[in-house]
Amino acid sequence: MIDIAGILIDNIMFVALITLGGVLISWSVHFVPVGGAPAAMAQATGIGTGTVQLAAGAGLTGLVTAGAMLNATDSLPLILASGAVGAMIMISVTMIVGAWVYVYGVGVPPASAKVDYDPITKYRQDIYVSQGTEGHGIPTVSFVSGVIGGGLGGLGGAMIYYSLVNVTTGLSATNLIGLASIFAVGIFFVNAVIPSYNIGGTIEGFHDPKFKRWPKAVIASLIVTFMCSIVGVLAIGGL
Amino acid sequence: MSAGGSGGGAAEAIPQNKLIAFGVIAGLVGVYLSHYLVAYVSTAFSFVGGLAAICAIVWGGAAVRRVASYGLGTGVPSIGMLALGMGVVASMFGLAVGGIAGPVIALLSAAIIGLVIGALANRVIGMGIPIMEQSMTEIASAGCLAILGLSAAMTGTFLFDAVLNNVVATGYIAVIFIAGGLAILHPFNANLGPDEKQDRTLMTGVEKGAIAMIIAGIVATTTDGAAATPTILIGLFIWYIAFEQYRKYVDRDAYEVTGVGLLPADEEGSE
Repeated sequence: MIDIAGILIDNIMFVALITLGGVLISWSVHFVPVGGAPAAMAQATGIGTGTVQLAAGAGLTGLVTAGAMLNATDSLPLILASGAVGAMIMISVTMIVGAWVYVYGVGVPPASAKVDYDPITKYRQDIYVSQGTEGHGIPTVSFVSGVIGGGLGGLGGAMIYYSLVNVTTGLSATNLIGLASIFAVGIFFVNAVIPSYNIGGTIEGFHDPKFKRWPKAVIASLIVTFMCSIVGVLAIGGL
Repeated sequence: MSAGGSGGGAAEAIPQNKLIAFGVIAGLVGVYLSHYLVAYVSTAFSFVGGLAAICAIVWGGAAVRRVASYGLGTGVPSIGMLALGMGVVASMFGLAVGGIAGPVIALLSAAIIGLVIGALANRVIGMGIPIMEQSMTEIASAGCLAILGLSAAMTGTFLFDAVLNNVVATGYIAVIFIAGGLAILHPFNANLGPDEKQDRTLMTGVEKGAIAMIIAGIVATTTDGAAATPTILIGLFIWYIAFEQYRKYVDRDAYEVTGVGLLPADEEGSE
């Protein structure tokens, strides 16, 4: 049997970092403008797919970029930065291409029905919203919010991956990387789904009334990720 | 029944308790059986792991159907990803620390993680779905057993060294993640609506599980402990039977099935 207390004490900082990473992912999902099926038909603002897919896309890109950086350096700030920037680039590209499709393909001006004036540009929006819709496209405030969300998600993903890879273990490098990645992906998905149940459908970004619900999801994620981090650290550290 | 949702339980011909017993027993027995038969009889028996995965997937599909019919406020796919997210964490932990008791420990840890997530979803997030705790426990356990079964079909054992070297380090675990997750989330997602029937949804689960089994068989061509041919052939056979049966259920549940012929061959024909 493995020395459970010993492994946990040795790696207590990594348990804390993984938990923090999970909380960051859970929080980040609330920033990303998710429109779901209504947005795909330009009847709501945001990207026309679900929270989980978007969070997974941004977070996994962050994981990959953090993994690439891990080949070059052991410096935690650099790895976290590359994870965050990777996820931000991914989500920005998704949003800018989505915005082109909305503007030039569907022919709608990006406008939100939830606020009359864009909180960042101060442009008036209510006159551009088509009747019977909740807005359409990806307004400036949603875009900026999405980039922040991507950054936080990538930061969280990179933090989880870095912690798992650095747990003291007897595994060979290939096996360790495989196991750490799949644990990180598992934890990532769990933390991407919990906030999506909190949001329940669509969210435009930090100006959306639903954004105020984030503490609930963050508390839920904190507990779940803490459990997952103990399980992950024990599994990797015990080998 | 996606965003918002209608609320209310799903009608079922087979009670969920029977499906739970079926999934747990057939899944666990199958995983152990494939390990011992491969070790003592022949590597050809690695296909039993695939059968175990199908049983677990059908159970998971039934649990998704039951909880998702309440209306999650988000898409059904999220729950399948959650199942495999919880399942992969629990199964790797169980196999890593458990040795020969690995699958049992994995199943127990999956059930605990699922129960906690279910309780948090109801108590903290406030989803208010009465069967949330039970369903999350079931879905996490089913996801975990699906991973164990498919890993056993790929390697011929559930012992961690073999799984780590042949499934995790090679990246095939990602294939399990997607194929297993889709097999659990897709049945209800594809069939939901006012005319959704339990047998039709579960048959989709069998069919998607068989596809996952075929993929596990293809992966088994690269490993030593498992035989690929029986897994692929039996998987194809199950897929064909299940798909035919699914088609019959679709015909049964459709208002009317008519042949409309082929599209006109040229532009003039269509005018």
